[in-house]
Amino acid sequence: MKRTTLSYHIIRNVLLFCIGLFLVTFSIYYYFTRNTIRDDTSENAIFMAKNIVNRIEQVLTPAEKNPEIIAKMLESSFLDKDSLVPFLKSMLKGNQNVYGSIIAYEPNFFPEQGLYFAPYVYRQGDSINSSILGDKNYEYFYMDWYQIPKITNAPYWSEPYFDEGGGNVLMTTYSVPFYTYKNGQRTFSGIVTVDISLEWLTKIMSQVKILNTGYAFLLSRNGVIIAHPNKDYVMNQSIFTIARENNQPALRETGRKMIQGKSNFESAGFKSEWKPGKLWINYAPLPSSNWSIAVIYPEDEMFASLHRMNIILIVLILFGLSVLSFVIYKIVKKLTAPLKHFAESARLIAAGNFNVHLPEIKTDDEMKELHNSFSFMQKELGDYVINLKDTTAAKEKIESELRIAKEIQMSMIPHIFPPFPDLPQIDVFAVLKSAKEVGGDLYDFFVIDGNKFCFAIGDVSGKGVPASLFMAVTRTLVRSISDKEYSPSVIVGTLNKSISQNNESSMFVTFFLGVLDLSNGNLKYTNAGHNPPVIIKNNKEAVMFEKTKYIPVGLFEDFEYGESSLQLESGDKIFLYTDGVSEAENSENKLFGDGTIMDIVSMNVTASPRELIGKMEEGISAHVNGFAQSDDITMMTIVYNG
Amino acid sequence: MKPFLCKALIISLLVFHITFLHSQTPKIIFAPQWLPQAQFAGYYVAQEKGFYKEAGIAVEIIHPSANTQATELLATGKADIISLFLITGISAKNKGLDLVNIGQISQHSAILFVTKKSRGIDKLAKLNGKKIGIWKSGFDEVPKALMQEKNYNVEWVPILSTVNLFMMDGIDALTVMSYNEYDYIINCGVNEDELNVFPVSDYGYDVPEDGLYCLKSTYEKRKSDFDKFLQATFKGWDYAAANKEFAMDIVLKRMKEAHVPANRVHQGWMLDKVLEIVLTPNKGVKRGELLESDFLKAAGILDNSTKSEIKFTFNEFYKPLGK
Repeated sequence: MKRTTLSYHIIRNVLLFCIGLFLVTFSIYYYFTRNTIRDDTSENAIFMAKNIVNRIEQVLTPAEKNPEIIAKMLESSFLDKDSLVPFLKSMLKGNQNVYGSIIAYEPNFFPEQGLYFAPYVYRQGDSINSSILGDKNYEYFYMDWYQIPKITNAPYWSEPYFDEGGGNVLMTTYSVPFYTYKNGQRTFSGIVTVDISLEWLTKIMSQVKILNTGYAFLLSRNGVIIAHPNKDYVMNQSIFTIARENNQPALRETGRKMIQGKSNFESAGFKSEWKPGKLWINYAPLPSSNWSIAVIYPEDEMFASLHRMNIILIVLILFGLSVLSFVIYKIVKKLTAPLKHFAESARLIAAGNFNVHLPEIKTDDEMKELHNSFSFMQKELGDYVINLKDTTAAKEKIESELRIAKEIQMSMIPHIFPPFPDLPQIDVFAVLKSAKEVGGDLYDFFVIDGNKFCFAIGDVSGKGVPASLFMAVTRTLVRSISDKEYSPSVIVGTLNKSISQNNESSMFVTFFLGVLDLSNGNLKYTNAGHNPPVIIKNNKEAVMFEKTKYIPVGLFEDFEYGESSLQLESGDKIFLYTDGVSEAENSENKLFGDGTIMDIVSMNVTASPRELIGKMEEGISAHVNGFAQSDDITMMTIVYNG
Repeated sequence: MKPFLCKALIISLLVFHITFLHSQTPKIIFAPQWLPQAQFAGYYVAQEKGFYKEAGIAVEIIHPSANTQATELLATGKADIISLFLITGISAKNKGLDLVNIGQISQHSAILFVTKKSRGIDKLAKLNGKKIGIWKSGFDEVPKALMQEKNYNVEWVPILSTVNLFMMDGIDALTVMSYNEYDYIINCGVNEDELNVFPVSDYGYDVPEDGLYCLKSTYEKRKSDFDKFLQATFKGWDYAAANKEFAMDIVLKRMKEAHVPANRVHQGWMLDKVLEIVLTPNKGVKRGELLESDFLKAAGILDNSTKSEIKFTFNEFYKPLGK
């Protein structure tokens, strides 16, 4: 694993937290600032549109007045037929915005004038001229400026048009119907118009400055482009043809809302062909002519200040984070410097150098606490190790004593095989394996008077040193008692009496003692609470001795032990063992058991004593399978070869 | 004057005259019935692509003006061939202009009545008693005949050329050409689903429109030249159908030259619609052929509306070119 430092972890975590915090703060800031800018722009756009609308209305609204007044005058018969032209001329003189004016009458209004009568006054250069319009080729009754106000019975601003006669100027005409009284009936009698040049409109629109590349455009009632920075659009395209040409349905929808006289500030769903990027649009109607004005805000410019702020902010924050990292690094390094020394000290202490010098801590904080703990640990460890040394020395002493005790114990039991090379009638083999250094099991055999073979096996209650001492006592007593006695029951009875007296620790020993007459094979034995041995007859049949009815030795001083006898034939074998064999446990707490003992004996009826015990050891070893030995194991096999 | 000089002059004049006659390709002046627009794309394309020249004729295209109609151009000899609606052609002949139809270009009627759905006119019968705008300059016979046959009392409002009165709701319905004014309305921001449309062809009045006419007197003399003109014109139409963008470029160029407001989108729409009625007749008729049934239908309408009997037969009116 890559080695990392504490300052790396702290800096990483602090930075991650700071970046998260920054992102959240930045998002909130961005969201609200953006909304604010949008609202501001919206206000600005509404103001700007209103301003343009007002400037246009300043020309259009007064222009409406003249024909409306003339219509009123005609209705009140203030003007007679001959004064129409001079009147219109004087009106034109006083209104620089008006390029021409017509008073067009209904067919045959003045019978003497015929079908058409429409006095027309117009500017031509600096002079003002007049003519009478209307003939077969100029049937004004069917023209929009006449027909629409007549049929709709309302004043009408015409769709803008290029006046080809008057120097190809963009014009619009305002038409007002007038009425006269015929036979007392107010009757439609004709139309008064004024022609207004829209050149000033282009000027107003071109003066509109929106951010860097924003722009404004003007639509007629039919959606025709009247003013637009792209001159090719003007009067050639309507917003709807542009929408279709560029396949921009959203533009058509915006156009529809515009010509319906709606106003709004919104994110444009369409793209401009000549101004890339997302756009915002504000549109508003012109109340007089029902035209509609739109101002376009390029989004990137709208939010340019915000984006600039963002960059500055990000640079500042990156710088701040770098400085923060550096400062954290420095602080952590300073704070954790003693830790390195502590680590070194700990390593030295671990190596056994308890007097190592600890780093000096001047501050009164956690580091000081660590220092105190370290120094406490140092002292405690020192004390502990001294203590441990003493304990270990004591333990070693005890262990060595125990080793000696074991050697003594082992030397008390016969361990040279074959034990009686000059007595061919008998062969013995035995093993004793203590669970601890010293144990409470015992076996013994010896020959009395040259032809009595006495053998015993026993198991002292408890383990360890007490049991071993008890065993030594038992063995010594047996040897001394059997010096003068041949009867197993007497030997065991005497043993019991001797042990039971002064048996303060209430220990006891299960004990089997047999005396075999080597001359005739007669075996006498007493079993004092010990596991019944196994007898193998004729190298074939293995039988367990009957269970004993006598209690172990050392319990009751006056207990009477009896004895049994058995006739051995040549080749018969006796297998004796302690409960360390039958109760050998494996890891699943399963005992080795009498059954297994019998099985192994039965399978090895012809084996020599050493071989039989070897097989039994293998069996036990396979059964416990490495599980720790909990009890002393003792086995002895005797063959009678009489 | 000396005799030698006189002879030389006569000979040189003769020689000049003969070479002049031989080098001169026959010239045809053609006038469509309206100002330049995509309705006549086939002619412009044929001229621009040199199809007329290939056919061995020189064609000049002139246009009528507000004051001079195409029939007048033909009558005064300013045009050799003109394009007219079938009904206009029959009417003009009946009024004494001795013209003949030498080829029928379009085979269907493109005339529609259109109303705003907001006016609640959802079937033809509801036009009864309503104000309907109609061209003042002609083409009014078919729609008027339809209304007359249905016995609807309609107030016809003559309109010069715009859709403004319709847009201002000054009238209930407007008579339009599917390839022309209908698209103007769409381009004024009215959606198609906001309109109800009644094509006259749906009511038995599918009268063919654009056809080519010449004076009967010139027909006899210049039959083969005119046939070349007709064939080259169809070639022009085919080329326009296959190369719409090219055709549009030419149409817009012609419009700009004539100082007519030009809008590519609208002209594109017109070209598509006109090609439908020119190139896909869909009624078992040969290209350029005028069916007698169509003649009779048109003559009947005219007969009815003007109460004047048609003074000539189909064969006198229709003079197919070629074999």
